[in-house]
Amino acid sequence: MADNYSITLDIKRYDPDTKKTWFQSYKLDAGRILRFVDLFRRINNEQDPSLAWGSSCEHGQCGSCAVRVNGKPLLACELLVENAVKDFGTTKFRVEPISIAPVVRDLVVDLEKAYEKVHRAKPYLIKRAPLPPQSSYYQLSPKEIERYEDATRCINCFSCADACISSHKNFIGPNAAMASIVRLMDPREEEKEERLKLLYSEEGIYRCHSSKACSFVCPKEIDVAHFIALAKEGAFRGDNGE
Amino acid sequence: MGNKLKVSTNLSCDVLVIGAGGAGLRCAAEILEKKPGASVLAVTKVAHPQKSHTAAAQGGVCAVDPSDLHDKPIYHMFDTWKGSDCSADQNVVKKIVETGWDQLMWLENRGMHFTRLQGGALGKRTFGGHTSGFGSVSSFRAVFDADRTGKSMMDTCWQEAVKGGVSFVPQSVVTELLFKEGRCIGAILFKEKDGEFVSVLAKATVLATGGCGQVFRITTNCRDNTGDALAVILRAGFPVMDPEAVQFHPTGIVGPGILASEALRSEGGILRNKDLEPFMEKYAPKMKELAPRDIVSRAMESEIRSGNGVLNPDHNIEHVWIDLRELPDYVHDVKLKEISGFFKTFVNIDPKKELCPVRSSNHYHMGGIPTTEFGEVQKTSDEIIPGLFAVGECASASFHGFNRLGTNSLLELFTMGKFVGERVVDYIKDGSLTELPKEAGEVTFSQFSKYLEASGKGNIGVIREEMRNLMTAKVGIFRKGNEMAEAMESLNELRKRAEVVALASKTTKMNQDLHQRWELDNLLDIAMITTKGAYERKESRGGHYRDDYTERSEEFDYHTLAYMTEYGKVDLGKRPIDMSIFEAGGEHCEHFKMIPRKY
Repeated sequence: MADNYSITLDIKRYDPDTKKTWFQSYKLDAGRILRFVDLFRRINNEQDPSLAWGSSCEHGQCGSCAVRVNGKPLLACELLVENAVKDFGTTKFRVEPISIAPVVRDLVVDLEKAYEKVHRAKPYLIKRAPLPPQSSYYQLSPKEIERYEDATRCINCFSCADACISSHKNFIGPNAAMASIVRLMDPREEEKEERLKLLYSEEGIYRCHSSKACSFVCPKEIDVAHFIALAKEGAFRGDNGE
Repeated sequence: MGNKLKVSTNLSCDVLVIGAGGAGLRCAAEILEKKPGASVLAVTKVAHPQKSHTAAAQGGVCAVDPSDLHDKPIYHMFDTWKGSDCSADQNVVKKIVETGWDQLMWLENRGMHFTRLQGGALGKRTFGGHTSGFGSVSSFRAVFDADRTGKSMMDTCWQEAVKGGVSFVPQSVVTELLFKEGRCIGAILFKEKDGEFVSVLAKATVLATGGCGQVFRITTNCRDNTGDALAVILRAGFPVMDPEAVQFHPTGIVGPGILASEALRSEGGILRNKDLEPFMEKYAPKMKELAPRDIVSRAMESEIRSGNGVLNPDHNIEHVWIDLRELPDYVHDVKLKEISGFFKTFVNIDPKKELCPVRSSNHYHMGGIPTTEFGEVQKTSDEIIPGLFAVGECASASFHGFNRLGTNSLLELFTMGKFVGERVVDYIKDGSLTELPKEAGEVTFSQFSKYLEASGKGNIGVIREEMRNLMTAKVGIFRKGNEMAEAMESLNELRKRAEVVALASKTTKMNQDLHQRWELDNLLDIAMITTKGAYERKESRGGHYRDDYTERSEEFDYHTLAYMTEYGKVDLGKRPIDMSIFEAGGEHCEHFKMIPRKY
């Protein structure tokens, strides 16, 4: 492994004041374990403070830094230079905003719009099941939880929605659908009908073409397609299921 | 630029919550449960509340389970008091600890995910500084959701806020608080996405903007933790309490600064120096790796200072190792999957086979906006500002004093969030909205105009990095009078340099350079009061450690109140430490006097 790499980033820019779009090329020498967010920061500090990009936690837990690198949606905070060179087989990268919402500027997209779908899926408990007698909380066995636990790790970075081959306009999207599916599988939720109505609606899971692109790109390695498949089958509960 | 800056929209609401992380949204949810239909605006700097930094908390949240025969609230109060180095406020400690479990149940009942035992009960783990029997044995007091407890809590908080009907104002910051006859009546916001300034009139305003870790180079805090509410409070002429009370977490992952949770040590991770010696035995013979954070951090820094560190060439940072090779595969693959994976993801290291590089990193600010036990913001030690509340890491009630125990921060978020929500509901009962003052926005516009009109050389990001390096080097884990005096001079110079920097673009719409220019002013303000507070506190207490005054001194048994209306001119006041548990004289009260902090 090399200690240093000469990297070229061709970044898609957009200026909302002039409505102009263009690609701008930046060249950097970078150490092997620098991440793409570190590169963006260096561009701001060394070459061009006007480049706008999103990030917050920068450790893969908030999903604010999702971008497309050479066509693949991923988290820029998790992409190390040496891994990028190895995985993509190049030192030249095209960096674009994800496609799930209008671009605000450069790599920053309007996630408020994207989240409308997640809110529509009602990720909270709509109607809480009664508590077991003499207990202040629900007793859920690890076995029960295991069936849906992976889906609770979703951070709504929208990488799956970006990769999804269904239309963003007509499909509520893999992550939003999964938010509702989690609660259908959560024994604490009593409201089933409303959830099923949404999942089997015009914008629901039958818009999914089962390409599994969502599972392929998920930075949290959640098998999103598996959960959508469960929903298509109606298999929300375990062996003793309803 | 051309156009003069102006308020483009006037909004009004019952409650304005500024900062939509765990604390802000728990507060919002409480308000809507108690008063359905209230109009609550929740402003967040990030793209959506789910992106808030609460979601980064990993290992657990503590609360005393009433069904646990080995644990009692009084033990938890003692641990918190002792851990704080006798500078937490006992009224606050009692209040939070006593309600902890009930409030945890509030979260569980609303769908928060937890790791469970076979029978379905909540799993528990032990954390540094948490004991039963007044320090006699480690206590299993922390419940958790694998290593993403903060995310699970954050998800429940924002989901409940959505359910209750909170309106979110994303990618926006508070630039100015509005007052009328001494009462807070709302704020001016800057909506970055639209590049617009908005005035909000509110019956009550809650500040919940989180931490300020970006003051330091080596930090676990997110890019957005720039202490915005603290700076806004200072500019309004009000104090920040205990700015010098900063916690350094022992195990930040070298490079990205990502936190590797204490859970790694509670599961058996061993700290080693360059000779692979397990050095914690020398510093805390009894608790070793599980000693409280400040003690572990100083042990690590001492090793590095005495030449026992290892240099990472890529980041040019010295570090020690954490050895996770002996941990069972189950811990790596299931129990601590995400943290263990961090090393693979962020430094390309396999923790099952290789040693992992860690360095003590800035982690948490115990200090903050001084409040009462109900979250009411104080302008002096005994006077509140009506209509203004603060909660979460930006506030200081003070539950943590000069050192916070692991898992106590998530506990504080949702318990204080609830208390503040209750108090707000009570406060707005008879409240009414006033008219927008004529001068509303003046402070903001004068500040932003200067940023946009500056025409000199320099780069905001570079100045920010210089400040962060300075603070880590001179106002970090080890502090010295002469070095801090130098740091204050350097901060003055950095601020002068920042003032002239011409921005790359003069637009207000999603102008990252403009945003960072404003953040830099906030950071420089906080850096200055932190340094001054630390300089004047000539003792060592909790996270504040002076090389030139290594012992705690009763002369400093008080909270610092720092005021700064002109840059570099810091006025200091005091707030007494509440010792009401001790003074009440009940059973066990002897544990709540000024006791030595030894582990």
